[in-house]
Amino acid sequence: MAERKPPMARILGVMQRYGLAILSVGAALGIALLLGRYHFRGVEFPLFLFAIALSVWYAGIGPGIVAVLLSSVAFDFFFTEPLYSLYIRTSETPYYVLFILFASLLAWFSALRRRVELALVRSRDELQQEVELRTQQASLLDLTHDTIFVRNMNHVITYWNRGAQELFGWTPEEAVGKHSRELLRTIFPIPVEEIEAELLRTDRWEGEVERAKADGTSVVVASRWSLRRNEEGKPAAILETNNDITQRRRGAEEVLKLNQKLGERTAELEAINKELEAFAYSISHDLRAPLRHVVGYAEMLEKNASKVLDEKSRRYMTTILESAKRMGMLIDDLLAFSRIGRAETRQTLVSLDQLVKEVRSEVSQETDERNIAWKVGALPELYGDRSMLKLALVNLISNAVKFTRTRTQPQIEIGCAERPSDGVVVFVKDNGVGFDMKYVNKLFGVFQRLHRADEFEGTGIGLATVQRIIHRHGGQVWAEGLVDKGATFFFSVPNHRR
Amino acid sequence: MDLVGRILMVEDDPRDRELTMTALEEYNLTNEVVVATDGEEALDYLYHRGKFQTRANGNPAVLLLDLKLPKVDGLEVLQQIKSDEKLRMIPVVVLTSSREERDMVASYKLGVNAYVVKPVDFHEFVNAIKELGVFWAIINEPPPGSIKKK
Repeated sequence: MAERKPPMARILGVMQRYGLAILSVGAALGIALLLGRYHFRGVEFPLFLFAIALSVWYAGIGPGIVAVLLSSVAFDFFFTEPLYSLYIRTSETPYYVLFILFASLLAWFSALRRRVELALVRSRDELQQEVELRTQQASLLDLTHDTIFVRNMNHVITYWNRGAQELFGWTPEEAVGKHSRELLRTIFPIPVEEIEAELLRTDRWEGEVERAKADGTSVVVASRWSLRRNEEGKPAAILETNNDITQRRRGAEEVLKLNQKLGERTAELEAINKELEAFAYSISHDLRAPLRHVVGYAEMLEKNASKVLDEKSRRYMTTILESAKRMGMLIDDLLAFSRIGRAETRQTLVSLDQLVKEVRSEVSQETDERNIAWKVGALPELYGDRSMLKLALVNLISNAVKFTRTRTQPQIEIGCAERPSDGVVVFVKDNGVGFDMKYVNKLFGVFQRLHRADEFEGTGIGLATVQRIIHRHGGQVWAEGLVDKGATFFFSVPNHRR
Repeated sequence: MDLVGRILMVEDDPRDRELTMTALEEYNLTNEVVVATDGEEALDYLYHRGKFQTRANGNPAVLLLDLKLPKVDGLEVLQQIKSDEKLRMIPVVVLTSSREERDMVASYKLGVNAYVVKPVDFHEFVNAIKELGVFWAIINEPPPGSIKKK
């Protein structure tokens, strides 16, 4: 059915068109006859011409011819003597010929006009579409925030979008028609002749230029030029897009400046570090020597004079010796502590299990006589500096041993909890004297002690050392405790190799 | 009695010298101790220069060397000894207050035979010196050309 419809529609269309011709001629005839009744004469001729014109105009040339023929026959039959006969007197033949010629001419003109009219309408529609499209494109260009403008080969601006207005400050009305270089006072990075040569050669150029804004300030833009050629291939216009890179340029300069500052600061820090190193070095050499002398001579004095000294004086001697030894320990611990900050870390795969075994055997001298219940869980391997990690474990484990001294059934637990965010987390837990969580922040400070020296000996550097070691490994230390209920010390070490 | 090797002690601090001598006394090793108070004197002894111009031939059985010395420091003395064909066989023991790793590394790189940190504790100090003295001056067989006496 669908296939037969177009021919059907065409046949219907043809019938309509010829029907129109017949109808219009019939109507003209009817009106002429009606008017004839009322004694109006000579109206038939223009009426038939009108019917012909109508047929040609709306139905085309074929129906027009039909209308001419029908009109001629009707005219002859109804309006020329002898009436109601198709007989044409010889003397009236030219009259008919003229009528047909005139009617044909009218039909022809009418058809011609019709064609012209249609063509005009079509081109008007096309033009309208084109205008719509162009308007849409132009408004799209206008919509972008990118700066776009067009100038002809004499550098006169012919198009100026909203982005250009936003960047440079001139409205399209102000900018269009102006000389672009004069308006924008462009400063090119290379001679402009080279730029133009490249543009003509490759049809494009891009680079950074400096331009003036309407408010007088300058702006650095990344500029891209595209050359538009006319149909003959001759350069016609240049389309330019600009991107404001002032901030970027300023940012880059800022970064450069900051880097310079950083360099200076680094040099300063290096100098300070060197000074510190020299300081620690001289402590190591020079502070220990007099201390050794104090101890040495006091010992010799004690040996030589102990018989003549009374009880009190002997106690003085002992105190001198103990104090000097304590100072020696402090110096050693402090030096070790400062060394951790200065020394390079040497990353290797370290077995914590092995380390804990070694540390336990080192502290066994003290623990052998005591009945410590050790509970050591499975410990992982991790990347780190072996000797530093060992020092950290020595401090934590000997602390646990020390602070459980007053317990009849001391317990020390060492274990590991792996958390994805922290890598490896190791803890050392004891049931010793513990500490007040109020002071937890003081635990890891240098020379900070939470116990009196006559309760538990120590220099107050051990946990600071642990913290420094773990920080150097990129990890964290923390502690939990309760007075008289034991303490747990945790440290985390990132699992990845640093 | 065993043969006792000559000990060259290079030490600028008179108290350290006295303490060291006290420690060595216990084994009667003091007779064979020669003292140099700085690096230059140590080199003078080894090269028969200055006040040691007229000393008898022969190298010490061991050299106890402090690192921090006036004029020529310990590491320079060590370097000089170890780069001299005639002296390089002398056993050198660095005896210093410094536990600094870089001193240790530098000394071992230069070929030191032992590195001893002077303990602050007097008993430990005396023990260390005594053991050093006994080992290097009595037990150890020094290289040929060293001075050793009854």
